[in-house]
Amino acid sequence: MPCRRLANRQNETCDPMIERRILLAAGATLLLGRALPAAAQPVDTARAASFIQATGRELVTAINSGSSVTQRRDQVANILRRAVDVEGVGRFILGRYWRLATPEEQAQYMRLFEETLIRNLSARFGEYQGVRFSLGRSQQRTEDDALVNTIVERPNLAPFSLDWRVSEVGGQPRVVDVIAEGTSLRLTTRSEYSAVISRNGGRVSALLDAMRNQVAQLAAREGR
Amino acid sequence: MRLPLPSRHLLPAAFAAGILLAGCATMPPPDDKDALEEFRATNDPAEPFNRAMYDVHQAIDTAVLRPVAVAYRAVVPPPVRTGVSNVLGNLRSPVILMNDALQGETERFGITLGRFMINSTIGVGGIFDVASRFGLVPHTEDFGQTFAVAGVEEGPYLFIPILGPSNPRDLLGFAAGIAADPFTWLTFGNRDLLDALNYARAGATVVSTRESLLDTLDDVQRTSLDPYATLRSAYRQQRAREIANTGSGATAVAPQGLGTGLGNSAPDAGQP
Repeated sequence: MPCRRLANRQNETCDPMIERRILLAAGATLLLGRALPAAAQPVDTARAASFIQATGRELVTAINSGSSVTQRRDQVANILRRAVDVEGVGRFILGRYWRLATPEEQAQYMRLFEETLIRNLSARFGEYQGVRFSLGRSQQRTEDDALVNTIVERPNLAPFSLDWRVSEVGGQPRVVDVIAEGTSLRLTTRSEYSAVISRNGGRVSALLDAMRNQVAQLAAREGR
Repeated sequence: MRLPLPSRHLLPAAFAAGILLAGCATMPPPDDKDALEEFRATNDPAEPFNRAMYDVHQAIDTAVLRPVAVAYRAVVPPPVRTGVSNVLGNLRSPVILMNDALQGETERFGITLGRFMINSTIGVGGIFDVASRFGLVPHTEDFGQTFAVAGVEEGPYLFIPILGPSNPRDLLGFAAGIAADPFTWLTFGNRDLLDALNYARAGATVVSTRESLLDTLDDVQRTSLDPYATLRSAYRQQRAREIANTGSGATAVAPQGLGTGLGNSAPDAGQP
């Protein structure tokens, strides 16, 4: 099956040997990755920066395109879904409560989290009409993520600094955090969610209710 | 010259009473390690009291601060608002300068001194931030940060109406900043004028700051499931960054153009 898919996409004849070799290589990479966590590929800063540059260019084009607000928001949402490691960020934010949640709650949380994150971010970016975006200094931070600094400029407003934390996820660079003027989105949201849970007797379901409510409100405001 | 004990201890006593009245946050059971760790990391043992103070602040904000800031933004054109914010920033220079010195930051001391001299003269009393155009980028510094650099712990989180998020260390730093500010004491030979100027400056600072936070705080209220917790976390992160003096943001080194050709003229950096 994978052979046919590969052949279809690339419009080539399918060589079983080549396919086996690819599979072997993939398997070896996986095994190595498991066996040698210390050898985890550190994100190349240049690669991270060019990923952010490309994503940023896509975002700016979508935001400044002449299309309607709804269209712009959808475009932005699609770009973000591809660029952000939604699952990793979601787990990080739920923190210790991830283990306390039932599998069903975990699944619901992920669905709601993606919805909330994408809606909030695309609503915010969607407002940035006339935005300009430039790459600042880029620096390596830890073993496996890089921090890419960008400057966001909007007409008549003071420019602000936006840092993107980029990590290698499944061999692809992905955004794992956005830091606006020193405030990390995932740290702030983690403390927000954990406050909601702990103020409701440690029930994850209380957070899910609050998130469901919020998604409904956001949807009502956006009229979709 | 010693003050009688009661008034000297009035502020802490009032806080203590408030905390006692409102009750403290309940410690998690000692066998729940994760919960204990979270309680410690949140560093908000007086949470019920702080949340009550936050509600007081929100009431004042909804009734007065926010509407005034909205009106200020609607009525006063952007260049004038930038000018106001620049003047207020320039007035803070002496205190920033002292703290640069106390922290042994010679380069930043030079920048602050240069900014103050250029902006007070060529910048017409600080209205125009000419120094930024000469590459002297503004930064903030206060006694709370200096205490932190000296190794003073922040203490438990506090929320003070109108002042916002704080902690004992930063609150003490705030008071020290006012006491050490020459503009607090410069009388021009007229005591009433001094009082009037100080009130005007305090008022302008509150309005200008609230205006600059309009979008951010509206966003927090709109998107956060618990704005109190969001602000608490954001404050701690911001302070950590300010204390570490890492990257003051907007004017980074040689930005590479990545815009969409919407004109090259960057708006004037209008930070306070």
